[in-house]
Amino acid sequence: MTNHWIDLRNADVILVMGSNPAENHPISMKWILKAKERGAKLIVVDPRFTRTASKADLYAPLRSGTDIAFLGGMIKYILDNNLYFREYVAKYTNASFLVNPDFKGPGELDGLFSGYDAKTRKYDKKAWSFQMDENGIPKKDPTLKDKNCVFQLLKKHYSRYTLDKVSSITGTPKDKLIEVYKLYASTGKPNRVGTECYAMGWTQHTVGTQNIRAMAIIQLLLGNIGMPGGGINAMRGESNVQGSTDYGLLFHILPGYLPTPTASLANLKGYIEKHTPTTKDPKSVNWWGNRGKYITSYLKAIYGPHATKENDFGYAWLPKLDEGMNASWLMLFDQMLKGKFEGFFAWGQNPACSGANANKTRKALSKLKWMVNVNLFDNETASFWRGPGMNPKEVQTEVFMLPCCSSVEKEGSISNSGRWAQWRYKAIEPIGQSKPDAEIINELYYRVKRLYQEKGGTYPAPIVNLTWNYGHKGPDGKIKEVNVHEIAKEINGYYLDDVYDKKANPPALLGKKGELCATFVHLQDDGTTSSGNWIYCQSYTQKDGKITNMMARRKKTDPTGLGLYPEWAWSWPVNRRIIYNRASVDPEGRPWDPNRPLLSWNPAKLDPKTNKPGVWEGDVPDGPAPPYNNEKGKYPFIMRADGMGALFGPGLNDGPFPEHYEALECPLQENIMSKQRINPAVKMFFAEGGKNLEDVYLSCDIRFPYVGTTYRVSEHWQTGVMTRHVPWLLEAMPQQFVEMSEELAREKGIKSGDKVTVKSARGEVWAIAVVTKRFKPFKVAGSTVHQVGLPWHFGWQFPEDGSGGDSSNLLTPTIGDANTMIPESKAFMVNIEKAKA
Amino acid sequence: MNTNKTQVPLFSFGTLVLLILMSIGGFAAFYRFAFGLGASTNMSDAVPWGFWVAFDVLSGVALAAGGFTITAAVYIFNMKKYRPIARPAILTAFLGYLMVIVGLVVDIGQPLRFWHPLVMWQYRSVMFEVVMCISLYTTVLTLEFAPAVFERLKLGWALKLIKPFHYPLIIAGIVLSFLHQSSLGGFFLIMASKVPSLWYSPNMPYLFYLSAICVGLAMVTFESIMSAKAFKREYETDIIKGLAKGTTVALLVYLVARIADLATRGTLPLLFDGSTVSKYYLAELVIGFVLPMILLALRNVRESIPGVLTGVSLVIFGVLFNRFNTNFFTQVGNGASYFPSWMEIAISVGIVAGGIFVYRLAVLYLPVFHAEMEH
Amino acid sequence: MATIAQPKGVLVDLTKCIGCRSCQIACKSWNGRSVKKTVQNGTFTNPVDMNSEAYTVVKFVETEKDNMISSWDFIKTQCMHCKDPACVSACPVGAFEKKPNGPVNYISERCIGCRYCMMACPFNVPKYEWEKISPIVQKCTFCSDRQEEGLPPACVKACAPKALYFGNYDDVVAEAERRIKENPGKYVDHIYGKDEAGGTSWMYISGVPFEQLGFKTNIPNVALPTLSWAMLKTIPMKVGGLITILAAIAYIRNRGNSGGGSASSKNEKEG
Ligand SMILES: Nc1nc2c(c(=O)[nH]1)N[C@H]1C(S)=C(S)[C@@H](COP(=O)(O)OP(=O)(O)OC[C@H]3O[C@@H](n4cnc5c(=O)[nH]c(N)nc54)[C@H](O)[C@@H]3O)O[C@H]1N2
Ligand SMILES: Nc1nc2c(c(=O)[nH]1)N[C@H]1C(S)=C(S)[C@@H](COP(=O)(O)OP(=O)(O)OC[C@H]3O[C@@H](n4cnc5c(=O)[nH]c(N)nc54)[C@H](O)[C@@H]3O)O[C@H]1N2
Ligand code: SF4
Ligand code: SF4
Ligand code: SF4
Ligand code: SF4
Ligand code: SF4
Ligand SMILES: [Mo]
Repeated sequence: MTNHWIDLRNADVILVMGSNPAENHPISMKWILKAKERGAKLIVVDPRFTRTASKADLYAPLRSGTDIAFLGGMIKYILDNNLYFREYVAKYTNASFLVNPDFKGPGELDGLFSGYDAKTRKYDKKAWSFQMDENGIPKKDPTLKDKNCVFQLLKKHYSRYTLDKVSSITGTPKDKLIEVYKLYASTGKPNRVGTECYAMGWTQHTVGTQNIRAMAIIQLLLGNIGMPGGGINAMRGESNVQGSTDYGLLFHILPGYLPTPTASLANLKGYIEKHTPTTKDPKSVNWWGNRGKYITSYLKAIYGPHATKENDFGYAWLPKLDEGMNASWLMLFDQMLKGKFEGFFAWGQNPACSGANANKTRKALSKLKWMVNVNLFDNETASFWRGPGMNPKEVQTEVFMLPCCSSVEKEGSISNSGRWAQWRYKAIEPIGQSKPDAEIINELYYRVKRLYQEKGGTYPAPIVNLTWNYGHKGPDGKIKEVNVHEIAKEINGYYLDDVYDKKANPPALLGKKGELCATFVHLQDDGTTSSGNWIYCQSYTQKDGKITNMMARRKKTDPTGLGLYPEWAWSWPVNRRIIYNRASVDPEGRPWDPNRPLLSWNPAKLDPKTNKPGVWEGDVPDGPAPPYNNEKGKYPFIMRADGMGALFGPGLNDGPFPEHYEALECPLQENIMSKQRINPAVKMFFAEGGKNLEDVYLSCDIRFPYVGTTYRVSEHWQTGVMTRHVPWLLEAMPQQFVEMSEELAREKGIKSGDKVTVKSARGEVWAIAVVTKRFKPFKVAGSTVHQVGLPWHFGWQFPEDGSGGDSSNLLTPTIGDANTMIPESKAFMVNIEKAKA
Repeated sequence: MNTNKTQVPLFSFGTLVLLILMSIGGFAAFYRFAFGLGASTNMSDAVPWGFWVAFDVLSGVALAAGGFTITAAVYIFNMKKYRPIARPAILTAFLGYLMVIVGLVVDIGQPLRFWHPLVMWQYRSVMFEVVMCISLYTTVLTLEFAPAVFERLKLGWALKLIKPFHYPLIIAGIVLSFLHQSSLGGFFLIMASKVPSLWYSPNMPYLFYLSAICVGLAMVTFESIMSAKAFKREYETDIIKGLAKGTTVALLVYLVARIADLATRGTLPLLFDGSTVSKYYLAELVIGFVLPMILLALRNVRESIPGVLTGVSLVIFGVLFNRFNTNFFTQVGNGASYFPSWMEIAISVGIVAGGIFVYRLAVLYLPVFHAEMEH
Repeated sequence: MATIAQPKGVLVDLTKCIGCRSCQIACKSWNGRSVKKTVQNGTFTNPVDMNSEAYTVVKFVETEKDNMISSWDFIKTQCMHCKDPACVSACPVGAFEKKPNGPVNYISERCIGCRYCMMACPFNVPKYEWEKISPIVQKCTFCSDRQEEGLPPACVKACAPKALYFGNYDDVVAEAERRIKENPGKYVDHIYGKDEAGGTSWMYISGVPFEQLGFKTNIPNVALPTLSWAMLKTIPMKVGGLITILAAIAYIRNRGNSGGGSASSKNEKEG
């Protein structure tokens, strides 16, 4: 979330598209309904009428996988009718930047951008660049008239998204499209703000990232980014998934969104050069210019005294990715199936049910020598070897179960979607033999380290050099009990020496040796500071000498009246509650909307630190620098080298502007927008005539005529391991089901409550038919297209009698988004038959 | 001391059948107490009042109305002609109420607490009033029938002892009967939104009472015919004729009241809206009340035993049907459905069989038909 | 504890309910209810109705306008805690009692299991433990145990979007009226439960006409007990009247025949 949960109440229009908060983030509805009480309007765009839609002022259906078309139409509508926020667009976005004249878009290249290589399915992005002036600053045309300026290119690109085309792609009736466009575009005025709530409905597509990009463009055009009640808000998933990404639980990043080193970057210097953007524009803060300080402090945190200037702070010990290597979920299980792994820790997950194309995943597990399942319960993964279609005699995998205790049986922090790190306390003692995950890791670390020390082995350094000061050590040198506070402090980071602000003269003392860092602004690249995760610097710190756990704060003061609650828990970065908040004020530093004063520049008031006039009041600003127009002023989007919101986004693999492509499996012979049916930049797992039939896909095939999607229900959690064991919840949602329209049911002679089989090219599940008015057939490209949907909460392992059914991931394809590789579990093709009793 | 021993043996084929039915019922009852209502009946949250309430209680009580009607006729209105059947009527009523009580004990979920209402008074409850009346009336009936026993045991002193209470008892019986017979209809007053409007009426209590008189007379008639058959005695044609006439009058009064009630509530149109409810209602009204009234109004029918038997049987059916309809359409309105389990039926049948069996014993060993001796 | 004596009420605002069923689960949790095995029955409503283990059940209702779904409503059902409850007056042993602060309580030790309460309740709330050998009636308690402690009912507490508004009865009614008045067109102009059955502690407001949502709309606006009381209260008079009349008739009709009615006595003499 750019904003935070409570901030939803400040919106004038809330677009829920690609998520279903009422069922998956119930608490958010409290704030959405509060906004409605203020007169805000709620729009829901979803293939089916959800519990969220039941509270909407305006509901529009669309066929799964067509959001870019829908949003492209909105962009066109906004531009055609001059509903965008002119000053914001001109000054705060890269609309005025001049793009390389060689750049061509899908309009000219029939669905492709310039630089496409069909063999590698990759783009050479040379042409997706800006024209630079003599001192290396992008050329601009403030009038936005130049035919090569981003604004004009945007216009050109989306001029193709006409109502008729959009409607025949999405299946959304034209009048509904217009209603939505009109209502949402009404937030283009300074005094009106719109927000967007998305989640898996947008991400789980081959065009997932571009779905969100499209919305980001709209929010920038309407001047909604940085505003209270605005922004673009990812309703995150697993209760601490925000934390897991912040801490780099992904193959391509280290904690704090530092890129994982690649083999070609032999030393720290090389790494920093590669990953530190530069700008010559004095008005741009270019925060990532500090990359060096963050990676160095990270290395100091994990390798402590072992990390020295001489040994490059142990950079060499960091694991490296091969150039262009992708180690995402789908790849891992693909490799596992090919027998590339010996062992696997299924730690707090249930891939046998959650992974797309479950049949493949389950088969892959059987190729392992050993597997460790760290979980609260036995589940379909731990017991895969005795699952459907498995022959225990043939499975060689040795499975270990490590019982871990649940979140309420241990202390620690949890980061919610609004970037709040909140401290949680242990409510009850761990049950049975279960241990907190940290204890299990501690045990593992100790034993692995000892093995390295005793037996040597290849490259022990990365392990034996780790600092591990998380509690009192026993005689054997093992930590008796992990103290999570010590971990939290290491994450925040320490001054490893007296650290001075060298710019000031005389140099001012920033922090004394051994104290906890006050802010990441103080972090150094010379090894005098440590921080396990720079964005969390200040979360556990020294406030006037006293060590304070900022995440444990519980004060309910609300100075701005906007519900920021700055003293409740702590939010990264530096307790900023709404990021890009410098974009919520005009170039003079006055709030765009005086009734929503998130931030305002007070030129008269003295800055307590510097004793110079001019301070920001309100939220913690995106950097202390004075506003845009001030001679020392800065651009609002400080994390971007050019300081501007990116309408044109050359960073992504599949194009600087979002373009509509069909899902891998779709009901259409060809894409109505162009000759490119599917996203040209996605990695393909299956090729015509390929032998890896587990990855097979069948698009526009009469055998699988219906669009299928998967989703969640309030009553269950994820693969259901935690909720299927709760009788009350199972009573409320006892069995796998499939929702379908009355029209389709009639065609198929299916009645509500009937048992049916849902098949895809890869597998099948049985489900109970829920025939409902909430699904309606779509008119797509002139013909009728039916869509059905299933939850993915069920699995064969519990209830033991199998009455629950099995995972709907037995249906989903092996394909991922072109940028993130998240599986496309929201749009695929299926067939439905009445089950033979 | 003269009884029927001479005419009929204690054990006949009939009694054998009775004993079989009783033992089947007995088994079912055992099952019900051992495994609970859910296991033995088809009642549910949707239909909490099943066959037992409809038959054992609502109908049972009505069918036992012969007791007070006849005692009223004989002792209050001093219609000497009917004296011979006074005692059999009292006996049937007495047994009838015992059967009702047994039925209730089987039906309630907490049989061991059957006595609660007697001590935990809740005077705003119709159920409380009914339970109280039934208990008291059963006591009264016991005392009304007691003389027969005393005679048999030659307890002159006891007879003398209760003699002064004769009239008070008779009157008490009639009053109590009026109260609970009507209150059976009163049960439904509180279910205003549930009872189909054809049946629902603030006058339900009175309609129940009037129909009880009809069926009371019909039952007595039915019995005297049947027991005459059973005990090989000639029919008391004169009495039967009289009873038939009485029934006709009662039916007429009842029908007038009922139609008037329909009309005043403006529900007459509903009669012909073709709904299931209306069909059942018409069937009940026509077959159960109008038809027998017409039949019994015809002299030649009234003169013939089979004729009278048909007539009164229809009335009995009519009242049963009325009680069943009121009870079930009040519940199964919203989609719910119900049909009694075999055990529910078996238990009720068993109870009835038991009643008849005891009646037979009584008749054989006690001076029930003393009228004979007055010849 | 004076506040407790104040009659409490709950307003269910259907326009705020998101059908999350937290209330259904929270109720089970607080009241230690178990489950009765269910199957997916083709709808989201599960269990299909309240039962002895489910004091409250959320019902899912779809409504349609010109072949497009026009609304999906979620109706939390539970005991309405009537002001003058049919169940209380129906019970022959006083196993139900209306507490001054609202809850209609059940004292299982008194219950004989006649199930008249189930018949009498216009909302079909009391449910029976059919499967048990010594069954009792079960229904929503309005969490009177929590209310004793000054806590709101468990379901209210669990309701994230605040679709359940708990407070003093008068404030609840006022709040309902305010919401209807201040949002023209949003609600149908009716507070379900304000008058039905003579008034209930739980009330509903809705954007969709109640009859379309399966609410019982034929319940008279009178306290149902008054309907049977009308009969019961006349009993003493009737008894008195009847006795006098019968005695009179008996006297007149039996004048002269000394022996009185007792046939038996005669027989004795003759026998
Ligand atoms: N109760 C409950 N809450 C949860 C979870 C849970 O399992 N249970 N899981 C948590 C996790 S990990 C996550 S990631 C979040 C996910 O939160 P959501 O993304 O809200 O979850 P989903 O139900 O998968 O998908 C949301 C909606 O996307 C719709 N949809 C499907 N295809 C498309 C499409 O092509 N376009 C659009 N616009 N919509 C589409 C579906 O109909 C569905 O209503 O929920 C979190 N919260
Ligand atoms: N078809 C389809 N597939 C999907 C999705 C979809 O929308 N559609 N959504 C995807 C999304 S968004 C996600 S996040 C993934 C989730 O995929 P998974 O994470 O594999 O699925 P979960 O069921 O969340 O697994 C979490 C496991 O952690 C265990 N657990 C709970 N608490 C703890 C703890 O404290 N410690 C440990 N060690 N274990 C614990 C739980 O018992 C559970 O088994 O599924 C993905 N799969
Ligand atoms: S995190 Fe917990 S409280 Fe928040 S919405 Fe999800 S389930 Fe509800
Ligand atoms: S908890 Fe509240 S919102 Fe959820 S279903 Fe119950 S009443 Fe509705
Ligand atoms: S709703 Fe039914 S159970 Fe609840 S108080 Fe009213 S009558 Fe009694
Ligand atoms: S079942 Fe129990 S609570 Fe209900 S009326 Fe009968 S005795 Fe009273
Ligand atoms: S008030 Fe208490 S008992 Fe009644 S539904 Fe709510 S939680 Fe359940
Ligand atoms: Mo997720």
